[in-house]
Amino acid sequence: MNHRGGWALIRSTWLSWMEQRTFFFLVAFGWMVPPLIYLFVWATVAGESTVGGMTRDAFICYYLVLSFVNQVTYSQTNWTVGDMIRMGDFNRLLLYPMSPTYNTLASEFAGKAVMLSFVVPVILGLGLLLRPEVALSPAGIAAFLPTLLLAWLLRFLWGYWLALLAFWLTRTDALLALQDALVFVLAGQVAPVAVLPGFIQTLAVLLPFRYMIGFPVEVLLGQLAVGELLLGFGLQVGWLLVAWILFRILWRRGLRHYEAVGG
Amino acid sequence: MPDSQIEVENLTKVYHVPEREAGLTASVRSFFRRTYRDVLAVKGISFSIEAGEIVGFIGANGAGKTTTLKMLTGLLQPSSGSATIAGFTPWERQPAYLRRISMVMGNKSQMLWDIPPLDTFRVLGAIYGLSSVEAARTVNELVELLQMQNLLTKPVRNMSLGERMKCELTAALIHRPEVLFLDEPTIGLDVSAQRRLRQFIVDYNRQSGVTVMLTSHYMADVMELCNRVILIQQGKLIYDGDLAALSQQLAPFKLVRLTLNIDDPVRALRACLPPDAEILAGMNGDITLRLDRTKTAHIIAHLLNSLPVDDLSIENPPIEAVIDQIYQGEEVL
Repeated sequence: MNHRGGWALIRSTWLSWMEQRTFFFLVAFGWMVPPLIYLFVWATVAGESTVGGMTRDAFICYYLVLSFVNQVTYSQTNWTVGDMIRMGDFNRLLLYPMSPTYNTLASEFAGKAVMLSFVVPVILGLGLLLRPEVALSPAGIAAFLPTLLLAWLLRFLWGYWLALLAFWLTRTDALLALQDALVFVLAGQVAPVAVLPGFIQTLAVLLPFRYMIGFPVEVLLGQLAVGELLLGFGLQVGWLLVAWILFRILWRRGLRHYEAVGG
Repeated sequence: MPDSQIEVENLTKVYHVPEREAGLTASVRSFFRRTYRDVLAVKGISFSIEAGEIVGFIGANGAGKTTTLKMLTGLLQPSSGSATIAGFTPWERQPAYLRRISMVMGNKSQMLWDIPPLDTFRVLGAIYGLSSVEAARTVNELVELLQMQNLLTKPVRNMSLGERMKCELTAALIHRPEVLFLDEPTIGLDVSAQRRLRQFIVDYNRQSGVTVMLTSHYMADVMELCNRVILIQQGKLIYDGDLAALSQQLAPFKLVRLTLNIDDPVRALRACLPPDAEILAGMNGDITLRLDRTKTAHIIAHLLNSLPVDDLSIENPPIEAVIDQIYQGEEVL
């Protein structure tokens, strides 16, 4: 463990990304567009009545919080891990007396710090503009923070183990694109899990993707009964363990298999 | 416990590479059944290097240089054989080992692109566990030696290649490594930048006693820096010794330059030289002959006796020509 080095790396990556902040602001904006579209679509559909028990205001709150959670949990770094392995840039990291994972975490934290400095004001502005009626409970807020943290860890590690398959496969970005597609349908993006039709809803509850985005949103907005919350929390932790184990196994075996491509 | 800084024995690496022919059908076929081929990249090489030596590690593209360097820096597991560097086995990748070595790759950068080098140096100081005072002192020394005071606050992306290379060297030496691997450090640099970089390596080596292993395709690098070269060819070590001796030992011919005091020197020479001697006519009546090494003395004696020779000198062929012959696999040994 080399925390001092890791921390210095995070700091300098952040400095270097602040130099390119316009780029990151545009990327962050791009990620915000789909949830905002669903916000307006569902708010319009709900109109004066409800859909799946959710009112217009509930949809607005849901999607505003979801935009935030999506930014916090999205791991843009996973896309570069596979490339670094394939192109040989990974060599440079292996020469340092420090785990290469620090490098990934550094770009992860630095990226979030840059992007959130853009996203949070935009979401707050939209909230003020649309003025949805919302009642947040202290319990909801208290449960939100740990589930958000777990959601980020789960999405990060899930993408990471997929990216590590680059040790064996040449291109792993297709797997990450597949993951994004599943997240799109099953994580509560295109529609909140509560309004998904029966069979797909069951899938969404059982598979890991909801626990990367939708679950913390539902927790914060108090949409879950205690039983549902506990089940969700258990599944979130369970999937996180699965992701962690896969990550460890692939990391160890991958390094052994690594053939240090390129100069 | 070996006395040498670097001790390599019987190091071998076999790559297991997937193989497929071009085209769609081959691509589909290989999806279902991949075929592999074993490539013997490094075949049982052994050598040892003393602390403080600068050794040139040369060979054609694909000879196995990079593979060897990757094993010695711990990036690759060898298939068999052993290596001990500064008392460590490189591919165990112990942090204590990684803190003792460094590698500069001419075609890869370790600088952070968008921020001034000083920030990268600070990060590296932290990664290598140096106190900030210690790191600052080393950086100052290197900055002085490389004369790069004006570069410290300039973003790396705005630097020329020569300027960036100075930063790469500082970055690589900030933790005062005992062993330095230089992989094509002068690639792409202009002549004077190359010369300054070589001078720096010599000075730094003298000051710090660092052991250097250098690969380069520029013979000027090797000639100026290395008293000793290790030459590998198709994964096998074929020469280990000093560079001048390499040329003497391996060059099959000598070059003889002469000036003759007659009207048609070429025709006169043709008449008294054996048929396998090559005549390379130069300017102003200067002529260069390429003679079989073993027959040179005999031929020259004959020339001096039979022709009006004004001036004559015997040289070994340029090292480039010798190396070129070896790389092309011609029989010179």
